Amino acid sequence: MNPSEQIRAKAKELLDNKTVDCVIGYERSTDGKNSRPLFVYSSKDADRLIFDQTCAQNLVRYLLNRKDKVTGIVVKPCDSRAINLLLNEHQIQRDKVYVIGVACSGVAKTDWNKTSDKLRDACQICQQHKPVVYDFLVGEAKAEPAAEAYPDIKSMEGKSPGERRAFWEEQFSRCIRCYACRQVCPGCYCGECFVECLDPLWVGIRIAPGENEMWNTMRAFHLAGRCIGCNACELVCPVNIPLSLLNRKLEKDVQTLFKFQSGIDADAPPPFAAFQKDEKLGVAE
Amino acid sequence: MNKFISKKDLLSWLGKLRETRRLVAPTRVDDLTLLTEVSRLEDIVFDYQNTDLPPKQFLFPATETIFSIEKKDGRVELVPAKVEKETVIFGVRPCDAKGILTLGMPFLEEPGDPLYREHCEKTILVGISCLTACPECFCTSMGSAPDDPSGMDIMLTGVKDGYLVQVLTDKGKALMPDSLLSSVDTPKPPAPQVSTVPSKGITEKMRQAFDDPYWGRLADRCLHCNVCSYVCPTCYCFDVRDYGGKNKTERVRSWESCQSPGFSKIAGGYDPRANKGTRMRQRFAHKLLYFPEHFGTMHCIGCGRCVRACPVNIDIREIIQDVQKLGVKEK
Repeated sequence: MNPSEQIRAKAKELLDNKTVDCVIGYERSTDGKNSRPLFVYSSKDADRLIFDQTCAQNLVRYLLNRKDKVTGIVVKPCDSRAINLLLNEHQIQRDKVYVIGVACSGVAKTDWNKTSDKLRDACQICQQHKPVVYDFLVGEAKAEPAAEAYPDIKSMEGKSPGERRAFWEEQFSRCIRCYACRQVCPGCYCGECFVECLDPLWVGIRIAPGENEMWNTMRAFHLAGRCIGCNACELVCPVNIPLSLLNRKLEKDVQTLFKFQSGIDADAPPPFAAFQKDEKLGVAE
Repeated sequence: MNKFISKKDLLSWLGKLRETRRLVAPTRVDDLTLLTEVSRLEDIVFDYQNTDLPPKQFLFPATETIFSIEKKDGRVELVPAKVEKETVIFGVRPCDAKGILTLGMPFLEEPGDPLYREHCEKTILVGISCLTACPECFCTSMGSAPDDPSGMDIMLTGVKDGYLVQVLTDKGKALMPDSLLSSVDTPKPPAPQVSTVPSKGITEKMRQAFDDPYWGRLADRCLHCNVCSYVCPTCYCFDVRDYGGKNKTERVRSWESCQSPGFSKIAGGYDPRANKGTRMRQRFAHKLLYFPEHFGTMHCIGCGRCVRACPVNIDIREIIQDVQKLGVKEK
């Protein structure tokens, strides 16, 4: 059976046995080429499920809307880290989630009405081809971890502060503050986001350089040590801001300073939510 | 006979316009095509189907100060905002020109929004008709067409080595003198075939579908980002906030979206559209039911931008088809 058939069979079984109330997976989108999220509530709809190289979205975010119901969910290895993140932060319960993990050797660069054989940038440097958490595994990991995880970050680090400033100013000037990056992010689940808070007013409503910069940098900092590197934010940005350059820079720094990578282990204490007695407050060691 | 301008003459005309006006035209920004203020004529691109973002921002900017309150010599003065320069938007497609007409309806309806009116008066649209159709366009189902000049001051149609020119308004006449144009017997190229959606009777069907569980299921996958509203040429919701300073306070408006959580939150924290399904229904009911009821025209011009930009493929073409079927099932 190919991955799509395996997922369909599993979804039918889970729904028919009432193990889950709903299975979240992928179906073909209206351009006939790409894929989109699908919520399957009845086994008769399970045949719409697919899995292929176009299944780019991270579906884990949807679990936050379904905390009280048992949900089956299709996750790629990168997405599976988001499940650990949410377990770690006590946002979901393990017994409410049935994880259909899919081994993945990369998702293709896709765009509306376009397909390509070329892998997404994030997939070209992927370290994780097998899900970190699953109840049922589809396929087997064939690809090897990429030799270098942060080539793009290192090349950014090589630039002068002035060059980096100019680069980001230009990128953020395009931002329309649609918040698609936040809405798709499994780690962005605050009941009230700081940009919508009125009292105190942290950041104004202007869609303008200063506020855009504040929004994007603050979001990145809130995700330091939490971003699981699924790159969903970058994928949904309508003006193509390379957000992963920010988020993964912080991931790299947290890894260097605290030897911690988010979402790998659901039980490891996250660095900014735990304090150890012998921990040093200084940055340099 | 048709009026004609060569590409070379067109460029020098645009160069001349730029001396006294703000010239906005399609340019490449990374891998996007965006309407931007042009500083070098060479940056203008001609090989695009449509711009990734609509011309809306030049009449209804993402953020603008609507007035300021200033303290001067012990007196407090209210200073309305002014539109300084005339703007020429070059390269607008027929759907977007129709979009500007639609966008204007709520702003210009009496008593009218003075700042928007001023933007309108100081904007000139030089459009280019479409010779190819994007697969996600459906303009003909929404009352426009690839060769529809409505809303434009001048419309160009690409032919060999230049453009056929239709000067449509007095503003257009004042901008493009006859001396620049020659008469040719080149025929107008045929308009491309555009895909259609079953929009006929959709307003009535939307009313019938108001309480259908369809909206809740559709909202399952909606992320409730604001992408659809912000890439839409006709969505016009905004939020207003005061930016205070020592001797000056500015009242600023910025785009908002009915899809954002909290958009309809009122004093006391109550939100009449707290769930995703009702927010989703609001967007499509506004476009296909409330707006047509009030203004007599759809609030969608079929540009397909939301179809292309939605991260989870909420596709208005599919929704129109589904809603038409919902009505049938009920009967």
